[in-house]
Amino acid sequence: MSDAEMERIFLENAATAAAGTHSVSDTGDLLAALGRVVAIDSPVFCPGMTELEKAAAALFPVRAADYAAAAVTVEEVFGAVAETGTIVCSSEGGRAVQAGLLPAHHVAIVRRERIFGTLDDLFAAIAFAPPTNVTLVTGPSRTADIELTLAIGVHGPEKLDIILV
Amino acid sequence: MSPEQTSLAFRANSVCALEDSALRAAMKQATDTFGTKRADAFAPVADLEALRDRASAIRDDVLANLPMYVDRFVASATRAGAVVHRAEDAATAREIVRTILADRGARRIVKGKSMVSEEVDLNSHLEAAGMEVVETDLGEYIIQMEGETPSHIIVPAIHKNRRQVGRLFADRLGVPYSDDPQALTKIARKALREKFLSADAGISGANFAATDTGSLVLVTNEGNGRMVTTVPPLHVAILSVEKMLPSLADLPAFLRLLPRSATGQTITSYVSVITGPRKPGDATGAKELHIVLLDNGRTEILAGESRDILKCIRCGACMNVCPVYRTVGGHAYGWTYPGPMGIILTTLLTGMKKSHPLVDASTLCGACVDVCPVRVPLVDLILGLRKRKVREGFADPRERRGMEAFGKAAAKPALFALGQRLAGAFWPLVRALGGKDVAGRMPSPAKTPLRRRLP
Repeated sequence: MSDAEMERIFLENAATAAAGTHSVSDTGDLLAALGRVVAIDSPVFCPGMTELEKAAAALFPVRAADYAAAAVTVEEVFGAVAETGTIVCSSEGGRAVQAGLLPAHHVAIVRRERIFGTLDDLFAAIAFAPPTNVTLVTGPSRTADIELTLAIGVHGPEKLDIILV
Repeated sequence: MSPEQTSLAFRANSVCALEDSALRAAMKQATDTFGTKRADAFAPVADLEALRDRASAIRDDVLANLPMYVDRFVASATRAGAVVHRAEDAATAREIVRTILADRGARRIVKGKSMVSEEVDLNSHLEAAGMEVVETDLGEYIIQMEGETPSHIIVPAIHKNRRQVGRLFADRLGVPYSDDPQALTKIARKALREKFLSADAGISGANFAATDTGSLVLVTNEGNGRMVTTVPPLHVAILSVEKMLPSLADLPAFLRLLPRSATGQTITSYVSVITGPRKPGDATGAKELHIVLLDNGRTEILAGESRDILKCIRCGACMNVCPVYRTVGGHAYGWTYPGPMGIILTTLLTGMKKSHPLVDASTLCGACVDVCPVRVPLVDLILGLRKRKVREGFADPRERRGMEAFGKAAAKPALFALGQRLAGAFWPLVRALGGKDVAGRMPSPAKTPLRRRLP
């Protein structure tokens, strides 16, 4: 699978799973995309741990100190899986995986080179020494517990946006 | 789970279920939807049979070496910082969990969906010890509020329609009535969010346990599984010993099969891989992780002729296609696990004496075998249990005499024809005597028997 092919499949599968998908080429485009995706005056949690997160964090006037109090979490995630349209959140490097769980809106920034083709590729990379928590996230939180009717946003985010950089 | 098992009353339970039109409508709608979604989800999978073969072979290997894999898991999980407890039976498991919680002064416990916790009747034991146990899976939340047990292993409230849930929420939560699933979901989100943030401990099950890394794998959709395992300071996971996978690298095959078989999804919203508790430098994970490994008869099953049921990965596909389950629903089976896999597990885990009518609750049509992602030979296992039922003297002796008589008559065409004429003549009487019971519901014999219609 070529990189372009992998990217196309990832975006297609993520969209099928009801994630919002955005593809940008550089940091300037990323900030523009964030401006469109995030309600700018809502309390945003952004860990500011990576270069992209540092750039993103400067964009938001209202910063939530804690993800539990945030309306939106904007973060760069560990990677993605093309096969399933999944983003991969990892606790590696002291990251709070639950930061993308509590707020109603999760915005995940993924670097293109961090897309794995298949689930096998991902697990081959992490299976030797997995960190405390690795969570595969595919679309928003959902349930079909009432009459098998799909309802979005049960305990996790009702909205997931993925920005590929 | 109520401790009173009612599997012996399967026939009476079924008659009640058949008269409940709301139940039958809910079951039909849900199982039809499941069938369509499952077929759609598997359609693009090119090498499905090879995938099933691989998953089946991995599960076979796990069973062939189960004690070794369990020991390896215990060692790996311990190395990762978890405390692993072995529970021989349900009572021991309950008491281990209660002690862990009580020793740490835990009062409010949030719980993710776990059929093993239902199997050991964990909630009532913890509640009796003065703890508040809150089920947080939406379906489990609904039935806990109603005081019911799950009627499906994946969708616990499958037997309820939206109006029943709407009335329940209005009654118990004091919210305005709504029968919109999205609105009802929002109500539950709000009520449960507060519980998550104030909980002293989380209890979860696990879909798989990787023996090389000591990781627990949770396959979920709502996010409550992630909440209970990452938000409270203490996480207690309870799982049965056969949930082992040799390696975390084996997981992809199962992630491709389980969600498709269970809910018709390519993958669930969330798959959590949890390896030990929070470590220095971590910002995720419970401060303490306790893993309770339940045997509860599995070692004995492993040594017997029904061992292949332990390959089961609890997707629920077998019940969704079972003509019996689809008609009577899960509660009729009278214990934790319904449908074809439930017939087998219930009989093995609770004993033939408490469950023998269940082994007849199958038409042996084989629809379950067709859909089982890990090739559990469900029909063979049910047949094996029927033989055991006869061997152990639980079969009705009249059935045996009847079958012997039928065998003799069927071998002689004249006698067989006489029997057919007599059956036709006496049928109205049989039906009248049968009343609401099975005999009273049997269709009339054909006017011209098939034998005479054949060229």
